[in-house]
Amino acid sequence: MPRKLAIDLGALERRYHELSRKVHPDRFASSDVRVRDASIRATATLTRSYRTLRDPVARGLYWLELFGEKLAENNKRVPPELADLVFEVQEQLAELCDAPAGSDPARELAVQVAQRRAGLQTMIDARLAELDRNFAKWDQRPDEKMLTLELKAILSSIAYIRTLIRDVDRALENSKAA
Amino acid sequence: MSRIFGIDLGTTNSLIASMEDGAPRVIAVGARHRALLPSVVAIAPDGAITVGERAIEMEPHLTVERDGRVSAVGFAGGEFGAVIRSVKRYMGLGGGEVAPEDRARYTFADLNGPVVRFQIGKRVFTPPQISAEILRALKDGAERALRAAGKDEKIERVVITVPAYFNDGQRQATKDAGRLAGLEVVRLVNEPTAASLAYGLDKRAAGNVAVFDFGGGTFDISILSIKEGIFEVLATNGDTHLGGDDIDRAIVDWLLAEIPDTLKLDRHVWNSARMAAENAKKRLTDVAETPVVVELPGHSIRKHLTRDALEQMAEPFLARTLKRCEMALADAKLTPAEIDAVVLVGGSTRMPLVRQRVAAMFHREPLCSIDPEQIVALGAAVQASVLMGMQGDMLLLDVVPLSLGIETMGGVMERLIHRNTTIPTSVAEGFTTAVDNQTHVDIHVLQGERELAKDCRSLARFKLGPIQPQSAGVPRIEVTFLIDANGILNVNARDERTGREHSVDVKPSYGLTDDEIERMLEEAIDLGEQDLEERLLISYRNDAEQILGALRKQLGEFGSLVEAGERARMDEVAERLEAARAGTDRELIAKLVEELNEVTTPFAKRIMDVAIKLALEKKSVEELS
Repeated sequence: MPRKLAIDLGALERRYHELSRKVHPDRFASSDVRVRDASIRATATLTRSYRTLRDPVARGLYWLELFGEKLAENNKRVPPELADLVFEVQEQLAELCDAPAGSDPARELAVQVAQRRAGLQTMIDARLAELDRNFAKWDQRPDEKMLTLELKAILSSIAYIRTLIRDVDRALENSKAA
Repeated sequence: MSRIFGIDLGTTNSLIASMEDGAPRVIAVGARHRALLPSVVAIAPDGAITVGERAIEMEPHLTVERDGRVSAVGFAGGEFGAVIRSVKRYMGLGGGEVAPEDRARYTFADLNGPVVRFQIGKRVFTPPQISAEILRALKDGAERALRAAGKDEKIERVVITVPAYFNDGQRQATKDAGRLAGLEVVRLVNEPTAASLAYGLDKRAAGNVAVFDFGGGTFDISILSIKEGIFEVLATNGDTHLGGDDIDRAIVDWLLAEIPDTLKLDRHVWNSARMAAENAKKRLTDVAETPVVVELPGHSIRKHLTRDALEQMAEPFLARTLKRCEMALADAKLTPAEIDAVVLVGGSTRMPLVRQRVAAMFHREPLCSIDPEQIVALGAAVQASVLMGMQGDMLLLDVVPLSLGIETMGGVMERLIHRNTTIPTSVAEGFTTAVDNQTHVDIHVLQGERELAKDCRSLARFKLGPIQPQSAGVPRIEVTFLIDANGILNVNARDERTGREHSVDVKPSYGLTDDEIERMLEEAIDLGEQDLEERLLISYRNDAEQILGALRKQLGEFGSLVEAGERARMDEVAERLEAARAGTDRELIAKLVEELNEVTTPFAKRIMDVAIKLALEKKSVEELS
C-alpha cells in the first residue's frame, strides 16, 4: 500500500486478511518446526503492522518515527493549552484521595471524577476527528517539517489526555478498593 | 499424517468430534452411546481409575436401600479413594488458590505449592493428570467407536478447546494434560471462537457475532467479525470461575439451610444435595415448580423449588455475565445494535432466564439451532480440518484475553501486550543493568488489567544471564515476548551487541515444570501396564460377584426347583469361585464363572419356565376380572 497518512481502512483490512491467509500458523500446522516458527514470527509482525496502521494515533506516531521524531518519553511536559485543565483534574483527584473512604463526600467526588473522565474522552474524540480531517490535507502538502510539527502537537495532546484518563482510572479504582 | 480430532474438555462434560464427509460430527463415547462423557474421574485407593457415568456412581452420596434405610456409598475421599468433578476449575491454580468451600470437598496434599495436589490413597494427583484421564477416556472411547464403524484409526493429534478467558497458566496446564494423555495438542482453541466456526460453517455467515458461552464452570463472551471466511475475534471477556456449578451451589445452600453445619460439610450429604439441586434446576427449564428431596439417615429434606425462586438465586451470577458482555462490547467498539447474531453455548444457556436476559441485552433472539452442549466440540473439529488444510480460505484470527506486562520500579505493571490483541503477536523490549558488574537481570512477567503488579497474576520469573560484567547501563539485551496462536507466552533474549541468543531461565509461578511432566509421563507408562491388569481383574471380580449374588437370590426364591444332586455340585463350584474372587488370578475367576454358568443353566431354564407360566396366569386372571 502507498505510504500515506490517510488510509482506506477497508482496503487495509482486505490486505491484512489476504496476507494472514498466506502466513498464519494455521496454514503450517503439519510443517517442519522451523517453518512453523517463521510463520508465527511473520504473523506477529503482520499483526503489529496492521494494528499500528489501523489506529490513527499509532499511525501518526509511526509516521513521526519514520521522520526521526518521537514524542518525549512519558510526556512530562504539559502541552500549554492543557495546563489549566491538568491543574483542575489533579486538584479533583487529590480531593477524592483525601476524602474518608465510604463517606458521602467521597461518593459525590467519585461521581464528579467519573463525569470528568467522560469529558476527557470527549476531548480525545474531538482531537481524533481533527487528526482524521488533517491526514488527507497533510498528504497533499510537500512541507514535511511543518507537517511533523502539527502532527506532533495533536498527538502529544492526545497522549497527555490519555495519561490523565489513566490517572483518573487509577484514582477511581483506589477509591473503590478503599 | 494422522487426522486431527477436536476435543471439548469441559468442566461438566467432555466430547470428541471429527469431520465426516465435510460436516463435523460428535463421536459416541459415553454410556448408552451418548456423545457426552461426564468430566468425572474416580480414583480408587489402589489407584484404579474410572471416568464418566460410572465414576458418578462412585461419588460419595446417600442412597435409600430397599428396606428404607439410608446408607452412605461411594469413595469417601482421601485414603478411601476419591471422585473428582469439575477438575477444570483447578487447572493452572496454585495450592493456595483453592477456595475454602472446596477444601472440605477433597483432600489436598499441599496447599502452598505452585500446583493443586489431590491426595488419594498414598498417591498424589495434579489437575493435568486428572484431565489427562478424561482425554484418555475420550481417545479410547472414540477409537472403539471408530473400530465398530469399520475404521481402524489411531487418535494421536488433537485440537483442545479452552475458555477464551483462560490465562497463560491455565492454557499451559491444558497442554500438559494433552501431553500426559499421549496426545499431540496441535492447537488450543478458545471455546466461543470454536462455537462460531461451527455456527459459521453451518450458515456461511457474515457480520458481527456475539458468542455467549455459559458452561458448568466458566463464562466467556466473544465478539467476532465474520467476513469472507475470516473469523476475526474483536474482543473477548469472561470469568473462569463462574458457571452453572455456582447456581447448583446456591440451591444446595438453600436446600441445606436448616441442617447443622457439620452435616452440611459431610461429603455424602453435600453430594446428594448437589445431585438433587442439579436435577431440579434442569427440570425447571420445562416446568414452573418441582419437588426437591434429599434423604438423610433418619430424616428427609422435602422442599419445593419454583422457577421464580431459582431465577432469584441465579440472578447475581447472570448479572456478572451481562457486565462482562458490556465490557467486551466496549472493547470491540460496538453497540448491541451492531451485533447481527447471538449464539448460545453451554448447558447453562438452557435456562429460560438466561435466554431472556441475553435477548434483552442484544435486542435480538439468540440462536440455538446447534445443540449448545455440542457446538464447541463441533467447532473444534472444524478448526482441526482448517489445520489439516481442508477448509479452503477459512481462517481464525483469535486474540489474547488478558494484557501481558512486566513489573517495573515501584511495583507497577507496565503493559507490553494489550488485551484483545490478535495472536500470534510479539513485542521486543530492551533491558540493561542497574549497577556495575551486574551479571543477571530478573524479569517478572504478569498478566492482568490492574495497575499494580501485586493485583495482577504472576506468570513467571525470568533470569537473564550470565551477562559479562560491565558498567551499569552498558549491556543491551533485547527480550522478545511472543504470544503464540495458543495464547501461550514464549520468551527469548538476544544480546544487541553480539547478536547472540541469551539463555533465559524460566521459573513459572504456577503449574508444572518440564521435569515434573517427564516424571509423570514415566510413571504413567509404568502404571499403564499395571492399570490394565487391575482393570481386567476388577471387571472379572464384578462378573463373579454378579453371578454369585444372582444364584443366592434364585436359590432363596426357587429352591424347590433344584433337582437332586444338582445342589451339591452348584455349592461346590460357587465355593471355589468365592475363594478365587478374593485372589488375584483373573484367569481362574473367568474359568470358574464359566463353570458355574454351565452347572446352573438347567436350573435357570426351569426358573424361566415357571416365571413365564406365572406371568401368563397372572395375565389371564387380570383379563378375567
